[in-house]
Amino acid sequence: MEKWECTACGYIYDPDVGDPEHDIPPGTPFESLPDDWVCPQCGVSKEFFQKMD
Amino acid sequence: MRTIILGNGLAGTMTGRTLRELDSSAEITIISQEKYPYYPRPNLIDFLAGELPLNRLFAFPPGWAEKQKLEIRLGKEVTGLDVDEMAVEIDRKERLKADQMVLATGASPLLPAIPGIDRKGVFCLRTIDDAVSLLEFLSTGPEVVVLGGGLLGLEIARAIHKRGLKQVTVVEYFNRLLPRQLDETGAGLLQSQLEKMGLKFLLGKEAVEISGQEAVSLIKFKDGSQLTAGAVVVASGIRPRLELAVKAGLASNRGVVVDDFLQTSRPGIYAAGDVAEHRGRIYGLIPAAFDQARTVAYNLAGQIKKYEGSIPANTLKVAGLFLTSAGLISPEGEGFEVLSKLDKENGLYKKLILKDGQLVGAIWLGSKKGSQEITRLVQAQKNPGPYKSDLLADDFDFSRLNSLY
Ligand SMILES: Cc1cc2nc3c(=O)[nH]c(=O)nc-3n(C[C@H](O)[C@H](O)[C@H](O)COP(=O)(O)OP(=O)(O)OC[C@H]3O[C@@H](n4cnc5c(N)ncnc54)[C@H](O)[C@@H]3O)c2cc1C
Ligand SMILES: [Fe+2]
Repeated sequence: MEKWECTACGYIYDPDVGDPEHDIPPGTPFESLPDDWVCPQCGVSKEFFQKMD
Repeated sequence: MRTIILGNGLAGTMTGRTLRELDSSAEITIISQEKYPYYPRPNLIDFLAGELPLNRLFAFPPGWAEKQKLEIRLGKEVTGLDVDEMAVEIDRKERLKADQMVLATGASPLLPAIPGIDRKGVFCLRTIDDAVSLLEFLSTGPEVVVLGGGLLGLEIARAIHKRGLKQVTVVEYFNRLLPRQLDETGAGLLQSQLEKMGLKFLLGKEAVEISGQEAVSLIKFKDGSQLTAGAVVVASGIRPRLELAVKAGLASNRGVVVDDFLQTSRPGIYAAGDVAEHRGRIYGLIPAAFDQARTVAYNLAGQIKKYEGSIPANTLKVAGLFLTSAGLISPEGEGFEVLSKLDKENGLYKKLILKDGQLVGAIWLGSKKGSQEITRLVQAQKNPGPYKSDLLADDFDFSRLNSLY
């Protein structure tokens, strides 16, 4: 699955890891994250993320 | 151990959060002049564009601070710093003592000292309050002028335009946009892309006066020309907020000077984020503020850690377009070889700068493909060898570069 990177702080969302601290289980693709999910590192909204190639 | 953190921007908040991770019993107090809980400032761009409502600007859910056992005192200004007693004065009345302190007071927008800068209708964008008052003023649909063609200025201009204001002009002092990240060709291409979106540009202009009856109506430039403006947004750099530190006698230059442990000239007082100057450098960027905050937290917790500087991200998203800029981008002098490719139609520009066969700089505009690999080559100053002539091809398989390492 694709990783996504926060353009503000560089945090990388890895679907294989998820974001357990915010109840996002491993295996959750970026597209399925809730709309109000924010970067766990700096807090910007989903719109600031870009797909990594 | 009691730690007082001055400021609840990214640096102050992340210092507090990390210190809590490291030490469950530390007493941590964060004092914040702004009355809002922590929010990342890039969200203000989306708020301005009308794409993110006010209640979604914040990073943490209600109750987060309590859960973290962080005492965050909102709407309180630190008005004095007593470095001998290790104490702060709050709102000119209260006094609070600590064992160690962190200056995370950030920066404010740098406003040019020109007549009319305090006129009604002149704004900047750093805080929620700035954004709210700017939006209120924009509701009358003025012609907007953004002073500054750097990253922030371009983002602001695009956001205002997206909100539906059609007359938005960016004024830049240099004769090209993003002078630090782009050469003339790249800047020209970026500009034409942004013009296609509907933004207007005025380059090589130095504003010398903002005039008008009561509110702003005209900007005057050094060369005698002028421009109508119903609202002005200033985005021409930042000024670290070091007044408290200076008054308290801490060593300072453009920022508060810190050593490799991010300690100021007074042991036990640290600084992180936009206020800190490390090895002569003020980053003004989130990744650096983040690295510094974490380092400070470790040192506060007694786990001594060194900070060696941050490498700023090379790929930026400027007004929706990808831009990678690494190493030397405008070489001067002998011995350089420059390869480039410009595809105006598709908004693509690629440039490679080589010296003695080694890759020393690159610009990649309009495409993300290959940008990471190219950045890596520049950082390692590699000789691209047999791939040199293929690097600019859009369909090049960049994974082949792995064989060079
Ligand atoms: C609109 C905008 C978009 C941005 N986008 C990006 C981006 O995409 N990527 C990037 O890397 N960077 C970006 N930046 C820059 C980034 O926001 C800063 O680098 C970051 O905020 C620095 O954090 P800081 O905590 O050091 O300072 P600040 O965020 O300035 O926080 C300092 C806080 O301290 C408070 N304070 C100051 N003095 C006192 C006092 N005496 N008493 C109490 N409190 C005080 C202030 O009120 C403020 O809340 C952007 C900035 C803006 C304005
Ligand atoms: Fe982030």
